[in-house]
Amino acid sequence: MIDLQGYGPRLIEGAGVTIQLAVLSLILAIILGLLTATAKMSRNWFLRRTATVYTTLIRGVPDLVLMMLLFFGGQIGVNAISDMLYYNYEIDIYINFNAFAAGVLTIGFIFGAYMGETFRGAFMAVDNGQIEAGKAYGMSSSLVFRRIRFPQMMRHALPGLSNNWMVLLKTTALVSVIGLTDMVRVAAEASRATHEPFTFLLPVAVVYLLIASVSEWIFARLQKRYDIGFGGQ
Amino acid sequence: MAATPTPLEVRNIKKRFGDTEVLKGLSLQAQKGDVITLIGASGSGKSTFLRCMNLLEQPDDGDLIVHGEPIRFKTTKHGREPEDWKQVVQMRAKLSMVFQSFNLWAHMTLLENIIEAPIHVLKKPKKEALEHAHALLDRVGLSARANAYPAQMSGGQQQRGAIARALAMDPEVMLFDEPTSALDPELVGDVLKVMHGLAEEGRTMVVVTHEMSFARDVSSQVIYLHQGLVEEAGPPDQVLGNPQSPRLQQFLAPKY
Repeated sequence: MIDLQGYGPRLIEGAGVTIQLAVLSLILAIILGLLTATAKMSRNWFLRRTATVYTTLIRGVPDLVLMMLLFFGGQIGVNAISDMLYYNYEIDIYINFNAFAAGVLTIGFIFGAYMGETFRGAFMAVDNGQIEAGKAYGMSSSLVFRRIRFPQMMRHALPGLSNNWMVLLKTTALVSVIGLTDMVRVAAEASRATHEPFTFLLPVAVVYLLIASVSEWIFARLQKRYDIGFGGQ
Repeated sequence: MAATPTPLEVRNIKKRFGDTEVLKGLSLQAQKGDVITLIGASGSGKSTFLRCMNLLEQPDDGDLIVHGEPIRFKTTKHGREPEDWKQVVQMRAKLSMVFQSFNLWAHMTLLENIIEAPIHVLKKPKKEALEHAHALLDRVGLSARANAYPAQMSGGQQQRGAIARALAMDPEVMLFDEPTSALDPELVGDVLKVMHGLAEEGRTMVVVTHEMSFARDVSSQVIYLHQGLVEEAGPPDQVLGNPQSPRLQQFLAPKY
């Protein structure tokens, strides 16, 4: 057994942070992605434009830069608001811009842009006749979305979604720069202190691999579920 | 005035796609039990006309009155649109459509396809919807395929299934958009037989078709369209038996 020299509990805690961060960011990214895809396919000029600016901006700027911008910029913004409240209304509050929230927001925001493209392609791959049949049978647009477009879109979206998820998972390792203690940060600290990098980094690599393998299994199940009726059973 | 309102009435429907005017003012009135067939060469506008009846296509002009209720329209920068989409949704639930390419929902079994709209649109209890669905499957001869997915069925089975799905809505009017055009010749008969049965039991139907024998045998009215206008209309023995316009005569003449 590897001797983790007392860093074991902190590493486990760090792994917990990584998983929470990744899952919450994924949820946010999926929501933003669906909204972006819908906006891009909308006939409203303003919505289309906003979505395009969003995806172009996010995809063109490094994740690390965005993360620092949002975290430090976010703190400055929050401070400015609390200063303003104090001077004008004598309301005295101090909000600490939470690093975890900043991490989720940034990663969710970044991957929302990629998800948006994935979902847009998937929505366009759904046969229009399927949607027309829904409309012709008196379904409202939200019912058509829930019962037809979404379930049929998913089989096209899942490969891209699973890809994005894997990249997202690994992107969480960047949060140590904004002071979040995920498992990579713990491992890096421990390596420096003990001069035994492999002792700490190898288990971290194994944990990432483990999460990735479990997710691959989940995505394979989902793919099977959404392929039903399309010759996939 | 009759006690029951006219199931479907359309007046002076006009529609253009870009620079081409495909419908130049078409009207039609389907009384209860009427079977109206729309015939014409491809490009005559018959399918577009049918799709204007449940607003899958938005007519640029004209009135649409379903079961005595006129659909309200407004003009926006995108053109003419229904004023109230809720009204359209309710209207569509009264007219069920059978498509050329069936359009059964691919991710649902045949049975699920049939109960989908009755449960989610008409808010029928599931048990009732299932009972009705089984009776309809029996009627179209597909009881054995209830749990099959559309991709596992032949075209003829899919279209009969689609007709069962349409019937499950208890529609005021059934709209058929070339229901047999995508089928192999040997499968056409089964679908036509089901449609014959529907006509006999007094269903109100508007049918776009190339099946002249069907038009002759079951319709109460045949409308021949040419370039977005009615060229000739009337009872089948008149329009098909004794066509007046040279164009219709040529359309009906044996092609080989």
